[in-house]
Amino acid sequence: MSKKNVTSRRAVIQASLGAGLGLAGLSSLFIAGGLRPKKEITPESEPIKEGDTFVIAQGPDKGKPVTLDTLPLGGPFVLAWPMDPKTKVVKSGERNNLSMIIRFNPDEYDAETKKNSDQGVIVYSAICTHLGCTVSDWLADQKIFLCPCHKGLYDPRQGAKVVGGPPPRPLPMLVTKVSGGKVVAGSGFLSPVGPVGALARNKAQV
Amino acid sequence: MSVYKWLDERLDLSRLNKKFMRKAFPVHHSFFLGEITLFAFIALVLTGLFLTFNYEPSTRIIKYQGTELPAAYASVLYIDSLPFGKVIRSVHHWSAHIMIAAAFLHLLRILVTGAYKKPREINWYIGLGLLGLAVVTAFTGYSLPYDAYAVTATQIGYGIGASIPYVGQWVSQVMFGGEFPTLRSLPRLYSIHVVWLPLTLLALIGLHMLIMIKQKHTQPRYAEKIAPGKILGVPMMPMQASVMGLLFLLYLGVLFILGGVFIAHPIEAYGPPGASTPAVKPDWYFLWIYGILQMIPNSWVIPLPWGQEINPEFIGGVLIPGILGLAAVLLPLLDARKTKMRYLELPSHHPLRTSVTVGILFFFFVGTLAGWKQELGLSNAVLWTMLILIPLASAAVTYMLMRSIYGKGDQTETAG
Repeated sequence: MSKKNVTSRRAVIQASLGAGLGLAGLSSLFIAGGLRPKKEITPESEPIKEGDTFVIAQGPDKGKPVTLDTLPLGGPFVLAWPMDPKTKVVKSGERNNLSMIIRFNPDEYDAETKKNSDQGVIVYSAICTHLGCTVSDWLADQKIFLCPCHKGLYDPRQGAKVVGGPPPRPLPMLVTKVSGGKVVAGSGFLSPVGPVGALARNKAQV
Repeated sequence: MSVYKWLDERLDLSRLNKKFMRKAFPVHHSFFLGEITLFAFIALVLTGLFLTFNYEPSTRIIKYQGTELPAAYASVLYIDSLPFGKVIRSVHHWSAHIMIAAAFLHLLRILVTGAYKKPREINWYIGLGLLGLAVVTAFTGYSLPYDAYAVTATQIGYGIGASIPYVGQWVSQVMFGGEFPTLRSLPRLYSIHVVWLPLTLLALIGLHMLIMIKQKHTQPRYAEKIAPGKILGVPMMPMQASVMGLLFLLYLGVLFILGGVFIAHPIEAYGPPGASTPAVKPDWYFLWIYGILQMIPNSWVIPLPWGQEINPEFIGGVLIPGILGLAAVLLPLLDARKTKMRYLELPSHHPLRTSVTVGILFFFFVGTLAGWKQELGLSNAVLWTMLILIPLASAAVTYMLMRSIYGKGDQTETAG
């Protein structure tokens, strides 16, 4: 046996070290997979669905149902959580359920908003499509939604179209019904809620 | 000193003494900036340890004194009710500001005196990493009191992280424990804020200082005039150590007065997280990013393969700060020298570098000013013109002024 064919100790050690480290690295990837938590759905965090009613999200009337009487014509809007009408569970466990409800004379709306509204009431998502703040301010003189974080402006009479600032997409709306004076969801949100990036933008265009 | 003798016989302390405790510290006021950063870090660790005794990283709603509140928020109310609790929390908060400010000024000192050059490139990189990690640590601390401000600010951070093409969703969900806010969010952010980042900072600070001791400080220019070729300075023991000790005590004293008079982040004023967004701005070191985010119109979208894109959030929150960081990384490679640097370069001898630094500072100022876009009634067009022209103009004016006052700069310096 010539000396050249003898595997040196160094090569064996290097190969086994390399293989060992490689395997350790791969198996740690398996653990790292658990770093991204699974989405946990509870009754409180289920998405808005058809038939849900709404309750006022803040202020002295917190928890009371949103009805025609609570919505002044021409704004301001009311922040509200959806509620399952059967179980009476308020779905405030999922921030993306936070909705803003506003009422105008239906003739002021553009065609699509008018189609999805009922008695002038329309429900929008309250989560800014820019970086996810709550669109919680109302410019009464211009009748415009303002997100206070980076000054995104949305026009509630044109399907919450962006009329200023950095948001990439309009606020999603849902098919709104009014039944027995109460505001009721006629669908889930028609486009993805919040700042979900490119995927949402592409889906919204489909 | 029989205790010293006893230990010396066993641990050979005198050898350690000779090696480290006689290290010469150059005497110059700007050399204290790094030390102040270190003092702020020590104060942060000590006050932070106190806060961990009672803080509860949980968003679950509990009853606290008859009110339903998130557990984290209630535990901060409890900390505030302890003797000196509010003051210690304030010292923790203000020390974070001071650590970032002092680290940034320390970086500026290194930058305008050219101390990033050979052989100190490694410490320049460690220093950049330390500043970046300090800012991330401060940001992860934002969320912990879980008041309305904390939730809004953290929400924005989540969105900026998630805007990174391809990996953003992963990065943000690992950092924030799912789509913030979830039940997993606070334990995750708490672990990152009190374990992972401080340990990393501690290790890097140790390395930063060991390398500094090994390579020795750059010498101020006066050292060259007094004793050329010699290391000039006061020894660590006893002189520098006593000055450092005094300065640390002074730091603590000032911070406790500051923390006692100005209670930081009063969570009752913000209230627990509610449906609406509080009218808040981020801390001063994020204001320039906040301002630039407001300036970028939603039309700035560049599509990428596989349905991904570069969007305004990514440009303002990641790309622009990233370009500045990259410039800092490239600096020692672009402005290199062959021989080892011994003496600091004077800012007046390097008009180009100094004036570019001035320009970058004005970039930060204008970006910060844009944070008041709405209050000042400034349009995007005006702000963009200012953001581009003011840094360029200030750099040009500084350069021309420096050339006319100081001439072409010191030619001998680059040679040796």
